[in-house]
Amino acid sequence: MNIATATADTGTTVLEAIKAGMSDAMDADSDVILMGEDVGLAGGIFRTSTGLHQRFGSKRVIDTPLDEKGIVAHGIGLALYGLKPIVEIQFSGFIHDAFEHIMFCAARYRWASGGQYSCPMVIRAPSFGGIKGGFWHSQSVEAYFVHHGGMKILCPSTPEDAYRMMLAAVQDPDPVLLIEPVPLYRSMSAKFEMDGKAATIGEAKVTRAGSDVTVVTYGPIQYEVEKAADELATTKGYDVEIIDLRTLIPYDMDTILASVKKTGRVITVHEAPLSMGFGAELAAVIQEKAFGYLHTPIQRVAAPDVPYHFSIGDEYYRPNARRIRLAIERTMEFEF
Amino acid sequence: MPSSTPTTKGRKTKTREQEKLPVCPLQNAEANNIRQVMDAEGKLTGDLQDPDIPPEKLLHMYETMVMVRAIDDRGWLLQRSGRVEFWIPHCGLEAVHNGATLAYEDPDWIFMGYRHPGVMLMRGVPLVQLFAQFFGRADEPFKGRRLPTLMGDRRYNIVPMTTQVGSYIPHVCGAAMGALIKGHDTKFLAIFGDGSSSRGEFHSGMNFAGVHKPPVVFICENNGWAISTPQSLQTGSATFAEKGDAYGVRNLVVDGNDALAVYAVVKEARDLGPDEGATLIEAMTYRMGYHTSSDNPDLYREQAEVDAWAAWDPLMRLRKYMERKKLWNKKKEDALWARCKEEISAAIKAAEAMDFPHPSTMFDDTFEEMTWMLEEQKAALLADLEDLS
Repeated sequence: MNIATATADTGTTVLEAIKAGMSDAMDADSDVILMGEDVGLAGGIFRTSTGLHQRFGSKRVIDTPLDEKGIVAHGIGLALYGLKPIVEIQFSGFIHDAFEHIMFCAARYRWASGGQYSCPMVIRAPSFGGIKGGFWHSQSVEAYFVHHGGMKILCPSTPEDAYRMMLAAVQDPDPVLLIEPVPLYRSMSAKFEMDGKAATIGEAKVTRAGSDVTVVTYGPIQYEVEKAADELATTKGYDVEIIDLRTLIPYDMDTILASVKKTGRVITVHEAPLSMGFGAELAAVIQEKAFGYLHTPIQRVAAPDVPYHFSIGDEYYRPNARRIRLAIERTMEFEF
Repeated sequence: MPSSTPTTKGRKTKTREQEKLPVCPLQNAEANNIRQVMDAEGKLTGDLQDPDIPPEKLLHMYETMVMVRAIDDRGWLLQRSGRVEFWIPHCGLEAVHNGATLAYEDPDWIFMGYRHPGVMLMRGVPLVQLFAQFFGRADEPFKGRRLPTLMGDRRYNIVPMTTQVGSYIPHVCGAAMGALIKGHDTKFLAIFGDGSSSRGEFHSGMNFAGVHKPPVVFICENNGWAISTPQSLQTGSATFAEKGDAYGVRNLVVDGNDALAVYAVVKEARDLGPDEGATLIEAMTYRMGYHTSSDNPDLYREQAEVDAWAAWDPLMRLRKYMERKKLWNKKKEDALWARCKEEISAAIKAAEAMDFPHPSTMFDDTFEEMTWMLEEQKAALLADLEDLS
């Protein structure tokens, strides 16, 4: 599953997998609908819903006015009434207009109504950089949405995960924010059986087993971690273990702790800004639960606390294999 | 007879200009294009026909309106004496939500605001449940989690508001779109205030409603004031209703202190055919009391304005109408007030005897199934409680 060599004939792209996930979910349950800007005949700006309008009609694939707040808020109404809306935000950078409705309405209806109402819905948020998108079109917004419960947050980074997590998100009884990897939409493909089986929410995956150092990461940046690990295996003989979190809320603490207890060294990697990012929470929890196992301080690799730069951001703002390699070297060669 | 919650004393008028007494706009309903059935004396002078509500339903509405007023009186006292933490008065607004609720059928969905306890009572929610909610007790639908008067109950198809004003406008529109998609004939009602019309959600909801034509009646309860902000600082539009024109949403202004007029226009809008879409109704009324128990209207409005509206009191007008119809008299009125006060006292007694929720229940209902993160935090709280005991 090497993104550099993947082509269409090597299997299903992430984009096709997302579409297949939505299509299979809509086949399985007539209450599932898709709603968003340009999702109908245009098939979405990324073409993740091409053909769905023709297949399911305008009652179930709804082109909306240009209004992120309205898309999510009307999705909430649909969910309250018993439908299962999948709502698409074109880029996660535009999602904040809907923030109140995501976090304080969708994520709270169950709690605030004493369990009487709930808002099972899927909010699709195409995210991440490396596409020369600059700020707004390359943002990593997950940290804004992880601060309190009520919302599950999934982040697939393979075609199979994209397909199975879409199914899992639709089937979940609570609202789900599905953070989609834009840079992988067309660049990555893989062969797997589209058998209608949903992913298990809350399970991380050790994508590379190793014994020296644990890198906890998620999203497409993990393929930069892979490159760094490959290089260090050759040049220095370091044995790097990589964990793809896959679910941010609720994240898989067991898999993380098992790895940390084995390696005693941890680096977190994400492409969202550093301060108060998801890596900060992981670092805090790991030292609370496994302080005695740590040989070195936990390091974080992340973007700086500034907007995503257009012309030089992909090279100098977004973490890359070189910066990740240096962080691993610093950890491996740390001296008190 | 109706007593009322303390209304503002008002700033003293100081200049000769200010001595010009404000006129209640309901007095010139026709000139102001306000739909109306009756005048201040309950006489049938308005442009709308008497909807001739059957006596049983009419009495149910009037008795509920009186109960709602009596609850507000007592709620205010409970707050001032420290027995509820917070109070949101609704005195003067009884005709809007009770008249509108009467126009709807029980399977229909109502998205209520926080000044609309009559929605609950009209549908048969027991009085003690309301007071249990005001007192934050465990044994009410929302388990003591919400501020007093932020009510609702799924068993009665009443959706609780999300607390931020106006946020539920697109929610009701989305739910009604859901009914259309499913081919149901469920109808929807949402009541929100004039201030809500300035939020983006009003635009979102009206915009989607104009496009998708869901079966919703949106009532913009124009009670004159959004805390201290008058209509002139809220909008440059002459009316809130006319905003519907821009979205292709049918709209009108109704006398919000005329329960018969509210019932008539809401019923007509509710009963429209499946393709006729939404209606935006501006109900002109007046918040006689404070915004909340934390407010002081003396800082921003004149007593003369309050007095002008008091002459158009919704309870008094409906009572006079019923007296003309020989359905009501002073004896019945006195008995009703006595009964309401008695029932309220009993409900308070029963509700105050109920338990507060156990602290660990704050983790319930966050997700359908609790995450390990919440399990850990709950365990920490339980350990803390053990330490306390």
